[in-house]
Formats: sequence, C-alpha cells, structure tokens
Amino acid sequence: MIRLALASLMNRKATAWLTIIAIAVSTLLLLGVERVRVQTQENFANTISGTDLIVGPRTGSTQLLLSSVFHIGAMTNAISWDSYEYLQRLPGIAWHIPLALGDSYAGYPVVATTPAYFTHFRYANQQPLQLTHGAWFDEQDHIGAVVGAEVAQRMQLKVGELLTISHGAGGISFSDHDAHAFVIRGILAATATPTDQAIYIPLAGLGLVHGEYTASEHAEDDHAHHHEPPVYSLSAVLIGLTNKPLALRLQRQINNYTGEPLTAIMPGLALTELWRTLNLFEKALFAVSILVVATGLLGMLTSLLASLRERRREMAVLRAIGAGPLTIFGLLVSEAAILASVGVGLGIGLLFFILHFGSTFLLEHTGMLLRATALTSSELTLAVAIVIAAISLSLIPAWRAYRNALADGLTIRL
Amino acid sequence: MSQSTCVELNQLEFQWPGASFPLLHIPHLQIQQGERVLLRGASGSGKSTLLSLIAGVHQARPNQVHVLGHDLAQLSQRQRDRLRANEIGYIFQQFNLLPYLSAVENVVLAARFAPARVARLKGEAGSYHELAEHLLTQLGLAEQDSKRPAHQLSVGQQQRVAAARALFGRPALIIADEPTSALDIDHRDNFIEVLFNACEVHHTTLLFVTHDGSLAHHFQRAIELNEINQAAGGR
Repeated sequence: MIRLALASLMNRKATAWLTIIAIAVSTLLLLGVERVRVQTQENFANTISGTDLIVGPRTGSTQLLLSSVFHIGAMTNAISWDSYEYLQRLPGIAWHIPLALGDSYAGYPVVATTPAYFTHFRYANQQPLQLTHGAWFDEQDHIGAVVGAEVAQRMQLKVGELLTISHGAGGISFSDHDAHAFVIRGILAATATPTDQAIYIPLAGLGLVHGEYTASEHAEDDHAHHHEPPVYSLSAVLIGLTNKPLALRLQRQINNYTGEPLTAIMPGLALTELWRTLNLFEKALFAVSILVVATGLLGMLTSLLASLRERRREMAVLRAIGAGPLTIFGLLVSEAAILASVGVGLGIGLLFFILHFGSTFLLEHTGMLLRATALTSSELTLAVAIVIAAISLSLIPAWRAYRNALADGLTIRL
Repeated sequence: MSQSTCVELNQLEFQWPGASFPLLHIPHLQIQQGERVLLRGASGSGKSTLLSLIAGVHQARPNQVHVLGHDLAQLSQRQRDRLRANEIGYIFQQFNLLPYLSAVENVVLAARFAPARVARLKGEAGSYHELAEHLLTQLGLAEQDSKRPAHQLSVGQQQRVAAARALFGRPALIIADEPTSALDIDHRDNFIEVLFNACEVHHTTLLFVTHDGSLAHHFQRAIELNEINQAAGGR
C-alpha cells in the first residue's frame, strides 16, 4: 500500500513537493525556536557559576545582576571602598572580586577588577577562564588589559597593542582617556558568555585614568599598609563562600549593613527570576511557530481533499480490482504519513544544515550560541507530534474517500 | 444451482434509497460458465447498477444474486471485495488504468488483492511480470509499449491493457462495461476479437454490456435489458 501511495504521490509531484516543503519549513521553525529557547536558557544560566553572592548598592536584584554579570545598564549608585573592606572581613568569605564598571572601549564594556577575577570567576559548569594568548595582568601591573574573545576578534586586537578606553558606556565618547593607554596583556578564550564582550583592566589602572589614585612606588612594596584605595567606589563585588549554606544568613546581614545601603543577591535565584520575566516572550514565540505548523498541515489537508475529486477514477479502478474501502482509507492515511514524515525529515535536515554551517554566523552577528547537538527528547517529541497531527488530519479526507468508495462503487464520475 | 452456472438472478429487485420506483426488477436470468453474453440497454436503464450488484459493490437482498454459487447477500463487504478480486475482471469504458504505473504494473496490480489469482499464477512458469508481458503480447500490445507509463498509451492500447488486467490470473468472469465505446470501428472489432480469443482459451465467462446493438452478431447470446427488466422505474 505504501508503494502504491508513493507512486500516486509521484504522479502529483508538484503538489506533493509543495506540501512537503511547507511541512519542512514549519518543522524547521518549530524545532529552531525550541532549540533557541533551550540553548539560550542554557547559555543564560551558564553566564556565572560558583559565585555565592553578588553585592552592590541598594537596587533591584535584576538590575544588579544585569549590570554585574551581563554588563547591561548603568548603575546610578556605587558602593564605597569602606564597605568593600567591611565585606572582606565577614566570616566565611573564601574569595571576593571587586568590579568597577562604567567605561567602555568601542562600545564594549570595560570591567576594572583585580587578578582575583581570573583566579576565582567561574562560568557554565564551574569552568575557569582561559587565555588563548598572553597572560592575565598581575597585582603590580597598572596598565595591563585582558580582552574577551569576541572583542579581540572584532577589533583585531593583539597582545602588546595599546588600547584607549572612553568614559561612559556609549560607542562614541567625547571624553577619551587618551592620556592613559592600556597595554593588552592577554586574550581570553571564547566562553559564549558576556565575558567574551568585555575588556578587563586593573582597578588601579581605572583609578589612574580617573585621577583617583596616584601610583606611589612604596605603596606596592608593603601590602599590609595598603591604606590608599585604588578607586573610591565599586559597582559590585562577587563573593565566594567557604560554606555555601551560609549565603542566606550573610545575605541578610549585608542587606542590613548600617554603614551604607547595600544589596546582596544570590545569582542562581536572580537568574531564574530574570528568566521568568523573559518567559512570556518565549511562550509567544512558541505559539507563533505552533501556528505556522498548523498552517503547513492545513495546506496538506487542503491538497489531499482537492486531490480526492481528480482521483475518483483511480479509486474506482482500485475498487474494481478488489480493493476494499478500508484499503482506500489506508491509502490516504499512508499518503499523509509519507508527506509528513518526509517533510519533518527534511525540516530536521535543514535545521542541522543551518546549525552546522550557520552557527558561527549566528554567534558573530547575534551572539546566540546554537550547537548542532543531537535531537533532544523534547525536540523528537515535537517532530513525532507533527507526524501524528498530520495522520490525524488525514482521517478527514480518508473518511470522505471511504464514503465515496462505498457510494460510487464502480461508476467513474468525471 | 448447478456448478456450471456463473451468474444467476432470481426475482432481483433493486431500488436506490430515496427513489420512488424500483430501478430493476428481473424475475430470472442465468448465465452459464464459459458463455459470452451481450447485455444491451440504453443509458440510464440500470445497466451500471446491475453490474455493480453482480460485482458485489452494491448489495441486493438474500437469494437474489448468486455468483459462482455464492449468495452475495450472505457475504460480508470484505468477502464480496475478495470474491470480486479473485474471480471478476472488470473493464470500464475508459480510464481503466492507474496513469502513473506502467502497463505491466497495471496488469500485475490485479493479483494484489486476489490470493486465488496468485495461486493460479503460481502454477505457471515465469515471474508475474513475465506472465503479464506475455498476456499483453497475446492481446496485441507491442513489447516496448508494455513498459511505458499508462498515460502515454493510446486509448486502444489502454483498453488492451485493461483487458489483460481483467484476464490476469484467470478469473471466472469478465464484466466489460461499454469497453469499446471510446474506440473507432476498426479498433472496436479488433478489440472484441482479441477479448473473445482470450476468453475462449481460458473458458472464461464474458458479460459484455453496451448500448450498441450492432455488436450483437459477435455473441452467442444477446439480452435486451428492457425485455428482462419489468421495473417501472427502469423502462
């Protein structure tokens, strides 16, 4: 019966191909959206890992997360160096990374920090940062810079080159700090996180640029008497704890700090919260692609129903040689099954073709990291659901053909 | 009923649902096996309905239609379809073939739903395709034409392929519904001759339906539907 259905479809090649392409495109869209959704969420959750608390000035948790981790948006407030010293003295602190934001290079955010960033910052699954070229700047280095993979590639930056940062986050700034150029010491390996789009400089370097700090040769010698802070204020501090369950208590303690209004957030929780606000958009996208699939399947239904009229002769011939009405019914259902399976298969093929050859393009132009990994079970479920929906829809023309077969008998209606 | 009776009608009455008169009322008709019968009737006289009753597509009441000893009303839909597949070869006026299959494939298709035809073909030497090609050659189709898709063949060639499909696997009865009305006179006589020869060889019963009385001289027996049908609706 499948062979007969195939031969009959081949006879209506043009319509069959159009139907298949419609189903393939809608499958591509549905699976593509699903993949973007899942992998974006994954990439999103991968941006920071191992950090137990993020402390910033009094603000909303989403805003603090966006500015400290994603380097999006400017903070109106800052935390003082005194507060940073207070945080360091808290019990159970394993490590701390100070961050000062606000400057940029060619539109890319400049993050002033300490070598602790390179030592302690983790992303994805507890992965440390790695360098492809050069080295991280050290404590004594006030003019070193380390650039993220994407910045380096886009701006054609190499180790040893000079870099002038601008005040403010905009692409074009009228106040370039050209008196204080930085020397690129290292280039980071790609991480598919906002790290790729950032430039890291020493806090002291930022202080120099802004005139908050003057390098004194003696200060470097004695760390115990490091009284003069490199900068007056910080944007945020990332904190790692020796004992994870302590985070909740410490969060409360920091939020109640009397010296200055502070906010402490747990990044995992804040990420989930932020993702939830993006949920609506994601659902709308999914709904649209479901509608596209429905359109594709309705196209198939239309072409099958339309074909019934021109195929009455074919049906009468099959009846004459002894095919039962159920065979006619099965013929139409298998036809739909063939159309849908080939369509879905083609759609999956297209998806992998695009993922395989277009993922670098996507990453470079949209910052979306999509991998051509094997179909997940939910993607497979969607694909099977399309085929099942197609077969269910084909029951309508199949039922009509069944009724026609019984009523027409052996008369060929023209 | 004797074993040599192929088709027997007894007090057949048939009325379409919703119609006010019965279309057919045939007190008696018997066709012996191996007989070649011409059934003549004007269009609209109930010819096609009678044929679909004999072919088991539509159902009469019990004891009215017997084909090869089976009371068709006692058989299920599936059994009637199976009987038709096995024992009845049907030739339409035109458009007999699936246009996307080759001539040979169209012929072989007859064995698809017919285990009895398959069993009879097993006794012969050669594959189905060889047997079908052989049959097509006997019916006068050139060898190179038998591999061509059906829609590329002329109407006359298509009717030969249809006859070959009806005869493939030696069914007991061939029902031909106006098979020559789409052909010109030369092709018509030639087609009838070829069909007769094939039926003779296999001792196949032929029920040939037409509105064209001029064909009657070819047949041993000619029946006027008007004469045997006493229904008011038929006339």
